[in-house]
Amino acid sequence: MLMSKEENPIYDIKISSVGPGLISGRDAVQELSGMDLAMKLHYLRTVYYFPRQAFEGLTIINIKETIFLWLNYAYIPNGRFRKSDSGRPYIKCNDCGVRLIEARCKMSLNEWLESSDDAATHKLVVPGQVLGPNLFYSPLVLLQLTKFVCGGTAVGVSWAHVLGDAFSAATFMNLWGQATRNKYPAQPLLMAHFKTQAQNSKSPIKDPLAVKRVGPVGDHWVTSNDTKMETYSFDVSWADLARLQTKICVDKDYQQIPPFESICAAVWQCVAKVKHETDVKMVTICKKDSKYSFEEVFTNKGQRVKVVKTNVSPKELSPMELGLLIMNQVVDETNIIEEAIEFDNQLQDFLVYGANLTFVDLLDAPVYDLNIRGHKPIYINCAIDNVGDEGVVLVFPSQKYHFNGVKVSITFPETYIPNLKWMLKKEWSL
Amino acid sequence: MPQPTMPDFSNNNNLIKRRKYLKLSYQYFVNHFISFLLIPIIATVAIQLARIGPDDIIATIKSFHYNPVQVLCSLFVLIFISTVYFMSKPRSVYLVDYSCYKPPITCRVPFSTFMEHSRLILKDNPKSVEFQMRILERSGLGEETSLPPAIHYIPPTPNMEAARGEAELVIFSAIDNLFAKTGLKPKDIDILIVNCSLFSPTPSLSAMVVNKYKLRSNIKSYNLSGMGCSAGLISIDLARDLLQVLPNSNAVVVSTEIITPNYYQGNERAMLLPNCLFRMGAAALLLSNKRREQKRAKYKLVHVVRTHKGSDDRAYRCVYEQEDPQGLVGINLSKDLMVIAAEALKSNITTMGPLVLPASEQLLFLFTLIGRKIFNPKWKPYIPDFKLAFEHFCIHAGGRAVIDELQKNLQLSAEHVEASRMTLHRFGNTSSSSLWYELSYIESKGRMKKGDRVWQIAFGSGFKCNSAVWKCNRNIKTPINGPWEDCIDRYPVHIPEVVKL
Repeated sequence: MLMSKEENPIYDIKISSVGPGLISGRDAVQELSGMDLAMKLHYLRTVYYFPRQAFEGLTIINIKETIFLWLNYAYIPNGRFRKSDSGRPYIKCNDCGVRLIEARCKMSLNEWLESSDDAATHKLVVPGQVLGPNLFYSPLVLLQLTKFVCGGTAVGVSWAHVLGDAFSAATFMNLWGQATRNKYPAQPLLMAHFKTQAQNSKSPIKDPLAVKRVGPVGDHWVTSNDTKMETYSFDVSWADLARLQTKICVDKDYQQIPPFESICAAVWQCVAKVKHETDVKMVTICKKDSKYSFEEVFTNKGQRVKVVKTNVSPKELSPMELGLLIMNQVVDETNIIEEAIEFDNQLQDFLVYGANLTFVDLLDAPVYDLNIRGHKPIYINCAIDNVGDEGVVLVFPSQKYHFNGVKVSITFPETYIPNLKWMLKKEWSL
Repeated sequence: MPQPTMPDFSNNNNLIKRRKYLKLSYQYFVNHFISFLLIPIIATVAIQLARIGPDDIIATIKSFHYNPVQVLCSLFVLIFISTVYFMSKPRSVYLVDYSCYKPPITCRVPFSTFMEHSRLILKDNPKSVEFQMRILERSGLGEETSLPPAIHYIPPTPNMEAARGEAELVIFSAIDNLFAKTGLKPKDIDILIVNCSLFSPTPSLSAMVVNKYKLRSNIKSYNLSGMGCSAGLISIDLARDLLQVLPNSNAVVVSTEIITPNYYQGNERAMLLPNCLFRMGAAALLLSNKRREQKRAKYKLVHVVRTHKGSDDRAYRCVYEQEDPQGLVGINLSKDLMVIAAEALKSNITTMGPLVLPASEQLLFLFTLIGRKIFNPKWKPYIPDFKLAFEHFCIHAGGRAVIDELQKNLQLSAEHVEASRMTLHRFGNTSSSSLWYELSYIESKGRMKKGDRVWQIAFGSGFKCNSAVWKCNRNIKTPINGPWEDCIDRYPVHIPEVVKL
């Protein structure tokens, strides 16, 4: 079906709110850690595509019922922000709910996925709201259920990063899958508690390299980019990824560079070659903490924010050297960021993703574990919204029909995208 | 010797205690006047009989001459009088049992959600938004009230299909529950009365019930619409009158208000108030005049008093459905609603008082009335103490102001109005069915005992004030299967004057 660019295939939009079915507690509040507030300007936009059987025979009321039951066990994202006397935001668990958007699409699911796999397409089925300007009345999580002509459904989730990282978001969604199969956890999912260190604001805080100070954004948690950003994504099968690894790791005596780091090295070098004016000497790597596993909680501390620096331009290093740098020479700045967020007794506004070229490892994110009535998603797309000008590279698992591998999604200033595409194809056949 | 000076408050305390005992003894004396009269008479007779002696008594009795015709005539007269008495006595109407609709969790609308939706829907009218916020903060509603699915949307999507859907959901659930509780079979329903003020489709809601449950073709069905929140008691009155005419019959009364078609979508302030207060609810009752239901019936209907102030223009226009300047339909509540409600209540009480108040209160009221008319008009009017006539009060949970006003006027304690306040908090204003949620609250708390008298008061558009008096027929044991089942232990709660958002 030919779709003209102006005609929006999404129609019949209805907006409502869905919250916990049971009262979650009088005057319950959730304090936020420094790391949560450091990530507050970012939003995770994920879309899960389900086949017809997943929601077959369910009316919207049936679906809402599963959501009401699900949110009994995850009531914190249903709250709204308030500010304490010192101006520090916290979440009031008032059961206000997540925003639910129902929509229909004029195409079938296969047509939709085949028409284009670019970010603009997926954006149509994911809510794009941010927190603010009315911070007290902005939902933290938005869901969009788009029904295709064939009966397939796209579940779009907008998750405010202040609640937790992509792993927390995936855990949150997987609870819904459990609810559709009448399985519930023993306890509700809560936010991780950490003891706040005593702040010594007198000593000069070293500015973390992984963040960019912006703002003040006030109650409207969004920034604007100096250049227009575009997202280019491509799939890499496991076989191709193995080939990439061997191509990078020429010397077998050195340590084996894992898949994510290999992709980082390849993309970093291509970006350095494409971006002539500046040497991309510093990148940020976001990886899940290998030591502690944060199951059953929402947190921003499960993802460590690390910085890698080179002394010379990356163009002059071999990909293997870059890969080894990424593995061995990273500096974990998570704790520094947490201290720096409260400087001079005032809360700062930070951009973490995109302050430098940022690589985010979501290969272990349990996104494909969302099981709705026994059906897994046939495709998933992840994106991070509101990122800095230096760009973000997301690596997450990809299973489309019979394809099995990873998807690399690069958000970069639009002027460089054509060259970057050409460079990646030329150097790495990606 | 100089008197030791007593502190003032101790004196006052003594005075108060003395007045209390005086009042108690006065009440006891007047209310048991007959007993006080009879006791000396019986004593005198007993003493006389004792003095005469048993033999003399027997001789006196034997000396009566019995004329058979006289005896037969006296017997005949006696039988005639008792037959006339029993035939003209109104049939007792019993409330066998009732059930209240409990909305599913998918209909829950927490406070904050309602506020947020209002802000989004009225975003072009910040003044109306602020007004609605202020109302909600002081409304006395809680976090678990329910709205039908169509009203959860921003903006709401009321249409006839959704309204019928809500009607079927609430009415059929309540009736199914009633059947389960009482073991009633659909074919045994002789009278069916459904009251729903603002939604009146064709065929009527009572026809909808007849169709769903395949009721008999000679059923006496009625559908009352447009009669406001007091329509529940009007239905009870109608059922009672019908049960006088039809012997050995069952009547099912369904009271509800359908919210879907009545959400006001405009921004006139006087018309936004009902949106904040009205919530989903329904109640189904089984009334009967069958002798065999007497044993298991929960309550006996004692009085129904209806007062209609519609002849006064101000009262008539007090709750008025109309179009706003933009053509949107809503219910306009006038500013003197409370004043009119108080007047209607006074009228109702004036009729109710002589029926239920003990003789002591009626005498006092009479004396004060005479005194004010003849001696000194400045005397304070005596407000009879209705707490002596009733153990429980069910005041229609129309809003916090209504309950406050009645508590003040009738001088009720916090415990007396607890059922009303807690129903408003948990279920909101469910219109004509709220009285039944309140009664269920009292039962769930285990406070209802055999012989307790309950006074149900409802106000409604028109302006009407209707009351019903019930007497509890048997002890009601907890836990009862009702809408308060899962939350009664959390109640009573303290409802703050202003809820912080």
